[in-house]
Amino acid sequence: MDPKTAMYVAQGIHGLAYGMILFLVASGLNIIFGMMGILNLAHASFFMLSAYFSYQFLSMTGNFWLSLLLAPVATAFFGILLERFLLRKMHALGHMGELILTVGVSLVILAGVKIFWGTESLPLKIPPFLKGLVSVAGMDYPVYRLFVIGLALAVLAMMALLLYKTRLGKIVRAAVSDADMVNALGINMPLVFMFVFGVGTWLAGVAGVAIAPILLVFPGLADQIGMDAFVVVVTGGLGSLSGAFIVSIIFGLLSSYGVQFLSSLAPLLMFLFMAIVLAIKPTGFFGERE
Amino acid sequence: MGQIYYISALWAAHDINKRGGLLVDGKKKLVEVIKADHMSKPDQCKKICERMVLQEKVHILWGTDGSNMMKIINETANKYKVIAQNTASIADELQDATNFSRYAFMSSFSTDQVGRGIAYYYSQIRKKEKKFYILCQDYMFGHAMAEGFKKGLKEYFPQAEIVGEDYHKLFLTDFAPYLEKIKGSKAEVIYTGDWIPDAANLLKQARQMGITLPFAHIFLDEPNFLHEVGVDGTKGLVQLSQYGAENPNFKTPEQIKYYKTWNNLWKTKWTAPFNTRLFEHGTGNIGSYTQQTYWLLSVIERAKSTDPERIIKVWEGDSYQYVTGKIMKMRPCDHKAIQDLHIFEFVPPEQQKVSFNIPPYYWYQGCSNVGPTFTVPAEKVLPLMDRNLDRCKGKNDWGE
Repeated sequence: MDPKTAMYVAQGIHGLAYGMILFLVASGLNIIFGMMGILNLAHASFFMLSAYFSYQFLSMTGNFWLSLLLAPVATAFFGILLERFLLRKMHALGHMGELILTVGVSLVILAGVKIFWGTESLPLKIPPFLKGLVSVAGMDYPVYRLFVIGLALAVLAMMALLLYKTRLGKIVRAAVSDADMVNALGINMPLVFMFVFGVGTWLAGVAGVAIAPILLVFPGLADQIGMDAFVVVVTGGLGSLSGAFIVSIIFGLLSSYGVQFLSSLAPLLMFLFMAIVLAIKPTGFFGERE
Repeated sequence: MGQIYYISALWAAHDINKRGGLLVDGKKKLVEVIKADHMSKPDQCKKICERMVLQEKVHILWGTDGSNMMKIINETANKYKVIAQNTASIADELQDATNFSRYAFMSSFSTDQVGRGIAYYYSQIRKKEKKFYILCQDYMFGHAMAEGFKKGLKEYFPQAEIVGEDYHKLFLTDFAPYLEKIKGSKAEVIYTGDWIPDAANLLKQARQMGITLPFAHIFLDEPNFLHEVGVDGTKGLVQLSQYGAENPNFKTPEQIKYYKTWNNLWKTKWTAPFNTRLFEHGTGNIGSYTQQTYWLLSVIERAKSTDPERIIKVWEGDSYQYVTGKIMKMRPCDHKAIQDLHIFEFVPPEQQKVSFNIPPYYWYQGCSNVGPTFTVPAEKVLPLMDRNLDRCKGKNDWGE
């Protein structure tokens, strides 16, 4: 492969990798915002919290896999507490209350992170077995980025199985359409919603652990990706996992090829794409709810 | 960052107070440092500046990172006629004809000096690499950093080639597309004006992608992420610093005493947040902010007053020597500091003794750090002067 072609192919893989990172963050938000209709502005803060948990578990155990397992669970635990004791009461009052509450929660998380871990950046290295480069189509590509692609695909498969192949998934999807009817059938809807919220924050947690070795772990981490995740969810369609997945990949590719060919416009392409999609289909690519 | 500024100012104040304070207005007075957080928000910055002046009755507003924040501090100083010292914001515009205030003094270096200083190093000192890629943040500061470098190359290194130039959004998550472009450009050096977190993420991701090119920069010196990147990944970084000295770094007993006192207190006394690796050495940025504060306090002492007019009179055209031996001059017409700048080449721990010439003979063991150091003479990097500023009309670049 000549160097120029190799560069274009590499940009494609970079786009794919970034798309997967976006998907990991957006999938959790998609479930919470898209399916439950809860405007959770603290989602990116849960993502940041998980990166800090990851640092903590890694320092304590030295085991990356254990931190990948435990940090998202710890994050989900806090998510469940938020849903059970704060959001559930606020949900009935509409989006404004949720918005104010979750902004407040994000500030509390930020303050907590500063108190427990300080304001300095924390060193979080790529684990040795995922370090280095591997040859892909004749090019050297970072192993860790391929791992992130694989992780996102595994999460997608797991979520698809959960939502479309299990009874719980059927209940969740039914609840999204008509929660009152599902409730009338004797299903404990508050418990279902708490579970869904927990899964959403768990996904943010997985993203936090995956991204921590690529980005600096510091109290401003949440601001770096939160907005992009919202744009993915809205453009993909509320509640649509496949929509979020496809749009994440499109955004990833727009970002990398944008930098390559239209560098000064690259940051705008994602928003331009969103504007075009929403102008044609206000519910987003695969969304049915507005 | 805020904690670094705070401890730097506090150190100088505490040291002066231990010696009995400053003789001002006929009395020995202690220096008090009051901390206020602008949260990088303009409205908050304005609010706290006014509170400091009107309620706390401070004589000096001392700041800060973020030129937009410093501009507000300078404006407040101008409005209430108190002195503002800029130790960390490096935009030249702060002292131009539009924004100049008699009460505002810029003792830090500036974007134009940074760009030209690094260009001077590659053309007159290093004389090896010729192909440069500029990657900066896409806002006023990033563009100013790039312009300074381009201007410097034109001035000192016309045979150099800029093989690419990009500006990325602030707080970028993924640098891979830019780095792939840089790889394809055959650049030999990446010049960046990025500050942390972008600077750190850029370096981390470059090394993760196997890109070992050197970065020429001013902000890639935060020890936590340097340790994360490791010895090999940080080797060859080139930093322009406003706190430096010809090697070896420690030459005078005063300087060694200053260093050891700081380092011993860090080891034995300080608690969170000042007991982390970030505060281990009172040099680098911390050293610069501390020494700039000593300069201010020396000016006040020589003015024998906290009256702004008397401080202005002493500080305009003033010369002051840092503990490193470096001479600072305040250009009278636009209040910008004239100074030699220093270039650090980062080397592995075992080679750091050329710079760190006292035990343990290295700055850090877990990353490359300051090794060979070169001086960029003040006359080669005189601060940019806005000729539209009435006070500077008819003056040369030294302000004379």
